[in-house]
Amino acid sequence: MTLMSNARTNEEWLVDLRASGESQDAAIADLRGLLLRAALYFFSRNLGDFGGLNRDEILQRAEDCAQDALIALMNHLEDFRGDSKFTTWAYKFAINIALMTARQERWKGVSLDELSISNEGAFFEWTLQDKSDGIAPDRSALQNEVRETVQDVIEHDLTDKQRRVLIMMVFNEVPMDEVVRHLGVNRNAIYKMLHDARRKLKSGLQARGFEVGETLALFSSQG
Amino acid sequence: MNRERFDAWLRNIYETQDVEISCTECFDLVSHFVELEASGENAAAKMPQLKQHLDQCRACRDEYETLRDLARFENEGGAPSIDDLRSSIR
Repeated sequence: MTLMSNARTNEEWLVDLRASGESQDAAIADLRGLLLRAALYFFSRNLGDFGGLNRDEILQRAEDCAQDALIALMNHLEDFRGDSKFTTWAYKFAINIALMTARQERWKGVSLDELSISNEGAFFEWTLQDKSDGIAPDRSALQNEVRETVQDVIEHDLTDKQRRVLIMMVFNEVPMDEVVRHLGVNRNAIYKMLHDARRKLKSGLQARGFEVGETLALFSSQG
Repeated sequence: MNRERFDAWLRNIYETQDVEISCTECFDLVSHFVELEASGENAAAKMPQLKQHLDQCRACRDEYETLRDLARFENEGGAPSIDDLRSSIR
């Protein structure tokens, strides 16, 4: 008898998945269904990433995600600590792979080399673009000082790698996993580079007297 | 980068902590975080480091938001079926 997937307790999931024969087959089939639903749900909310694919290809990608997620999950079964429902724990394997698949599809064929160069023209353009009318001149001057400080730290205090990652992700909105693929490292390494860059920016701003409250107030409440 | 994004990014800069958890740690912990939220607890107060990571990391936040939706369906019902989801893709 096949139980409904959500009828299993956490313990029953673990027992069935580690069993052999029919009860394992049934558990794996149910689990695969859960993972497929998670992948399809993610895809259905991110259809814009799949502009280059037809419906059958998208559905096939979802099947592939479910299969890959199933393998990843079974390899990590020992890591389940029981601090959530098993199904919640399981979903995240499919969501993770679905997100990577979707972003890869969207950014297919885009040269990240060009998007990682410190393009000073673009940077200054951004500064000029953001000059706006109707702001008190002293406030506008302070805003420019903040922007110049940020720019100065980016140009002089960051390492080349930190600068490249920052330009890709913050200025060109390249997704994390595409940067991961481009640089051949993992998410943790990219996160660490951005974290170190933020720390330098934070201390650079504070060293020039821009404390958090007043600086954020300079930019917020402008609608 | 427009003003709204710059404002949000500036906020991220100021909210930077000396020690932040990694994406792998976030992946390990996020299902517990979602479970706490689902049971009405103040997950952000109980797991501030995870909340901080989600505020800083777009990829982890996108995954978290999807997980939160799916966990909510699981708890409250109303989960779209596989067939419904397939039909929504065209």
